[in-house]
Amino acid sequence: MSSVILRNVCKSYGNLPIVKSLNLEVKDGEFVVLVGPSGCGKSTTLRMVAGLEDITQGDVHIGDQVVNDLPPHKRNIAMVFQNYALYPHMSVRENIVFGLKKSGADATTIASKLADVSEMLKLNEYLDRKPADLSGGQRQRVAMGRALARDADVYLFDEPLSNLDAKLRHHMRTEIARIQHQYNMTAIYVTHDQVEAMTLGDRVVVMRDGIVEQVGTPMEIYLQPSSTFVATFIGSPAMNLIEAQVEDGELVFSGYRIPISKIANTSEADLQVYRKVLVGIRPDFFEDSQLTSPSDHLFEFGSVKVDLVENLGFDKEITFKFGQEEAKARLDLRSHIVREQVISLSVDLNRVLLFDTSSQGMLLNAGSL
Amino acid sequence: MSSVLIKNEARLGLKLVAPAVGIIGLLVIYPILFNVYLSFFDVQLNGTKIFVGFDNYSELLGNPRYYNSIGISVVYLLGTVTGTTVLGLAAAILMNQEFHFRNLARGLILLPYFAPVISVVFGWQFIFDPVNGIYNHVMVDVLHLSDTRENMIGDPDSALFVVILFDIWKHFPIAYLLLLAKLQSVPKDLYEAAAIDGQNAWGRFWHVTLPELKFVIATVVLLRIIWNLNRFEDVFLLAPNVETLPIFTYYQAFSGVVDQGGAAAISVIQLLVLVGLIWLYVRKVLKW
Ligand SMILES: Nc1ncnc2c1ncn2[C@@H]1O[C@H](COP(=O)(O)OP(=O)(O)OP(=O)(O)O)[C@@H](O)[C@H]1O
Ligand SMILES: [Mg+2]
Repeated sequence: MSSVILRNVCKSYGNLPIVKSLNLEVKDGEFVVLVGPSGCGKSTTLRMVAGLEDITQGDVHIGDQVVNDLPPHKRNIAMVFQNYALYPHMSVRENIVFGLKKSGADATTIASKLADVSEMLKLNEYLDRKPADLSGGQRQRVAMGRALARDADVYLFDEPLSNLDAKLRHHMRTEIARIQHQYNMTAIYVTHDQVEAMTLGDRVVVMRDGIVEQVGTPMEIYLQPSSTFVATFIGSPAMNLIEAQVEDGELVFSGYRIPISKIANTSEADLQVYRKVLVGIRPDFFEDSQLTSPSDHLFEFGSVKVDLVENLGFDKEITFKFGQEEAKARLDLRSHIVREQVISLSVDLNRVLLFDTSSQGMLLNAGSL
Repeated sequence: MSSVLIKNEARLGLKLVAPAVGIIGLLVIYPILFNVYLSFFDVQLNGTKIFVGFDNYSELLGNPRYYNSIGISVVYLLGTVTGTTVLGLAAAILMNQEFHFRNLARGLILLPYFAPVISVVFGWQFIFDPVNGIYNHVMVDVLHLSDTRENMIGDPDSALFVVILFDIWKHFPIAYLLLLAKLQSVPKDLYEAAAIDGQNAWGRFWHVTLPELKFVIATVVLLRIIWNLNRFEDVFLLAPNVETLPIFTYYQAFSGVVDQGGAAAISVIQLLVLVGLIWLYVRKVLKW
């Protein structure tokens, strides 16, 4: 195992910059997830670490070595490709041990690794089949097995679960988490699925347009997003952002007035220079007022008219309006709510975030972790 | 699929192939059968046929020239099939790389294949001309590899070598074309996966390219064997003294003592050998 360091890494195709001065340090044994919208440069970054794409500027270190000019076959990395890239003429068994053999492992090591991996990924009955005779999910597991069988310094995953159905994806996600705990591997995992990012990462790197927006633990990213982009990208449904006026020590929007002093770690002085801010409230942090007991840091939105109720089983998502702006809240099955009903929602002011309307950056954090 | 559907599909299939089967029957099966028929007769110049049983065959099997031509054909086949396949593969790999004017080069490589045999044959004869040919000029006057000017085409032994070279030059483009088409469809991420698995360029060729090309290479080899076992015009026009099986058959049938029955016997044997070879190749080597 090794650490991976990217220092001011840039990638351009011709004059078109794709990755712009990226800095990232993956510690030995750490599982880092790169997440971001399609086309933001996640795969490109991963492929630069793998050596499949050359680096326009900056350095990539694996362990204590700068690997910029080292071809992939000399980097001792393992990778799971988005489209599996299994060798079609080899059986599952041969696919799994191919890299291991090349690395010079002896027959007993190979046999025991093969047994481990096929046991773990439930591949035992398919070992003699060719990839063409497997289902997508089985191929996915073989691709995973081929990487995990290797004794690599770094493991790279490029959206390994994107081709699976929801159920299998969930199963594999748990499986990967388990493997990660068991082997403690250094890994970089690319996904645009925020649930994978949240559940798998020791740390999550949120990227946008070739730039790192925020690096942090999943809970940091969730509770203290550094910008409205991160705030709305992570979490589903997305965080509500409502524009509010700053007036007389209060945040004013759609008839509600929230005393600034009640928002944790915030004082009137902090907001002096602003006339407007964006108030960020996650749908999860709304509560049905009938189910809460009044307390000092709870703020009550007294008359909320419900436009839509979506029942998801345990949860229900409620759509309503703050003035002209649509907002969502997630309540659970204890609340019996129907369309058009007028209800009262409470929110813990410690969880309310404020963002700058022009820079979209987080102003002051209210939440404590 | 239900059995009714399968049955219907089979019936449709039969209807679809019937016309082709009819035409092939007329154009191919009839001449072959007639050939087999002829091989049991002594055919006179005026067209009368005298039944001779297996005489044509026993005469042929006692003829040393026949065995000689079999030997020459074997060398010719080995040389040309290996040569065109290897050269075609090399050219295909080269032309699959990115470089300037690649499309132009891809086209130019096909030229020998398109050029009419009759005109390029003269060119080749000129190259190997003992007095004025560039081959002797280079070998003797420039490189000093040899003291005497050789008549490469005049001597049947060295002429075989020239004929093989000519065939490789003329026919490698078809191997190249088939291989390049397949090469372009090999997924790039297989190479990437192999690189990640620790394979260098040679390893990637061995473990990705070759297995992917296996069936195309096999097809090329098979086609080349079939074509070249029957190859006549290239050899006959360039060096009629190289007596491969088809040339020997021709001499037997149409020159000196005209012996169409004997020639028919040769082709019958050749056909049997070819069918046997292909069967062996397809079933045992390729395991299709
Ligand atoms: N060879 C290339 N030439 C020019 N632009 C390219 C090339 N390869 C990729 N790009 C561009 O680089 C950007 C980043 O691509 P990349 O594959 O890293 O995105 P990604 O974050 O992995 O997206 P996704 O989630 O869709 O896989 C894209 O906008 C893409 O169009
Ligand atoms: Mg990608």
